[in-house]
Amino acid sequence: MYLLPHTILNAANRYPDKEAFRFGDTALTYTELVNQSHQLAHCLLELGVQRGDRIGIYLNRCLETAVAVYGIMSAGAAFVPLDPYAPPARTQFVIQDCGIEHVISNKNQEKNLKKILTQNLDVKSVISPFGVNWGEGFLAFCASLNIRTFTQRNLQELSHTKPDTRTLEDDLAYIMYTSGTTGTPKGIMHTHRSGLAYAKLSADLYDVQPTDRLGNHAALHFDISTMGYFTMPYANGTTVIVPDIHTKLPASMAQLIEKEQLTIWYSVPLALTQLLQSGIVESRDFSAIRWVLYGGEPFPVKHLRALIKAMPNARFSNVYGPAEVNQCTYYNFSKLSEKYTTIPLGKVWGNTEILIHNENDEAVKTNETGELLVRSATQMKGYWGRPDLTEKGFYKRQRIDGCEEIFYRTGDLVKMCEQGNLHFLGRKDRQVKIRGYRVELDEVEAVLIAHEAIGEAAVFALKNEDEAHIKAVVKLKKDIEASTLKSYLSKRLSSYAVPNDIKFVQKIPRTSAEKIDYKILRRDAINRVSTA
Amino acid sequence: MTNTITTYIEKEILNSPDTQLTDQDDLLGSGLVDSMGLMRIIAFIEEEFGIAVPPTDMVIEHFMNIEAISNYVLKRQTIDG
Repeated sequence: MYLLPHTILNAANRYPDKEAFRFGDTALTYTELVNQSHQLAHCLLELGVQRGDRIGIYLNRCLETAVAVYGIMSAGAAFVPLDPYAPPARTQFVIQDCGIEHVISNKNQEKNLKKILTQNLDVKSVISPFGVNWGEGFLAFCASLNIRTFTQRNLQELSHTKPDTRTLEDDLAYIMYTSGTTGTPKGIMHTHRSGLAYAKLSADLYDVQPTDRLGNHAALHFDISTMGYFTMPYANGTTVIVPDIHTKLPASMAQLIEKEQLTIWYSVPLALTQLLQSGIVESRDFSAIRWVLYGGEPFPVKHLRALIKAMPNARFSNVYGPAEVNQCTYYNFSKLSEKYTTIPLGKVWGNTEILIHNENDEAVKTNETGELLVRSATQMKGYWGRPDLTEKGFYKRQRIDGCEEIFYRTGDLVKMCEQGNLHFLGRKDRQVKIRGYRVELDEVEAVLIAHEAIGEAAVFALKNEDEAHIKAVVKLKKDIEASTLKSYLSKRLSSYAVPNDIKFVQKIPRTSAEKIDYKILRRDAINRVSTA
Repeated sequence: MTNTITTYIEKEILNSPDTQLTDQDDLLGSGLVDSMGLMRIIAFIEEEFGIAVPPTDMVIEHFMNIEAISNYVLKRQTIDG
């Protein structure tokens, strides 16, 4: 087993009729998943797709995502998840940036697709793996742009056989786009090797069995989803895709966890906090849950304690790792003594080495703070089309001639304590997490400053107990309403990156070096809140 | 009431001004409304119709479309009133 699609072939051999993915009242067995993904792969190959080509997946949480992921990889191509909730301009940027010519989508996305697909893009076809017809209006729209459309009806005529694409484990498997410091998103390139290494390591660490049923809460463009899409097929288990609607309505989500008898849950902490606050946790039976994994941001300990009480049979795991390495540490626990105020990042997992360096790239001692560097089998190949950023993101050393060791610079400040647990202390640059999503404050600032009415802008984050809020302070060149500015931002940034409030000022505080003084900004903002 | 809710969602929640909603249009499954949008709709109906929406009531059945929201508000008004 050296390619990600080998996982479903292997599972289909052992458990042909086992549910691979479930979504609401519908499901795909491993055999169905293999057959349908092969048909999609043949469709792509007939369209001229070559090994390493990037294929977009423009879908919300649904069963088609599984066919899309495995169909694209079976054709030797790389899948690129596109967030259907992102502003059209951002999606267009990604499509253009990595040269996407074919998009897997479905009828639900017709309205959005009409906003995204324009003459300027090279998109040649849109494929819906399920359903037999696109709407009349959409077909006419695609025809006017010379975009070909395909549905399940077209795919059904194609072969079930495995295409031979001569793909190697080191070839590109998927690209995940994330917020970049320069104001544009950057694509993290992962290979079959890095994806499969993650599947193996996570299946081992959490002892994932064929009987396990994982609740996949994360959208496909978020790396937390790789456990549902890679690890479960590797372990021959079942992934239950949590529908978008349930992620918005925690009381419904609690019903789903019970009804589907989920044994593993993996999400950002916020989803679990909302679950607790739904007020119906006590009346639900969560006894089937044996693992609760969370990642993306720290879990407020207060809520964590309440969750442990609500799920007494579960073990918990604090998962840490930037999307560039997927996961690199874990801290597993089933109880929390009173002494905990934060949860450690924990231990380094298998096939992985870490370094903790100071500003001069020298190793620091135990209990000293430094930047975390990671070398892992799960590591990315680099950033798509940005060798400059890739070079900057890596630290290389040669201990033996001809054998280069490449570490990813996480930008996270950590320390190692005497017990061998790693602790998170903050970000080196100005990246913050909003509801688990990475936001570069500098990107938000860059977008604000790009507006013609704005002279200067400073963006910073304030943390209260549960979550971070993005605040912006701007100095205007000409009059503009805050609401106009907000709608300008929401067209260019993901909704979670748009500042919660924008304040107009005459002067932005600066340090003696003329740098924006974020310390003063934060202090003033806190004072405003406390005197309000 | 249905009109008030429809106008609010069309004007404030959806980002394309030309979209016209019917009472049965699936707001949640289709991706028309995201999670922030839903929280704003809940805040709006609480304010506009003088009701309180407890977390236990935040279920799909009450918010799937405009008809469901209207029915829920009516039910809530009789309870709270």
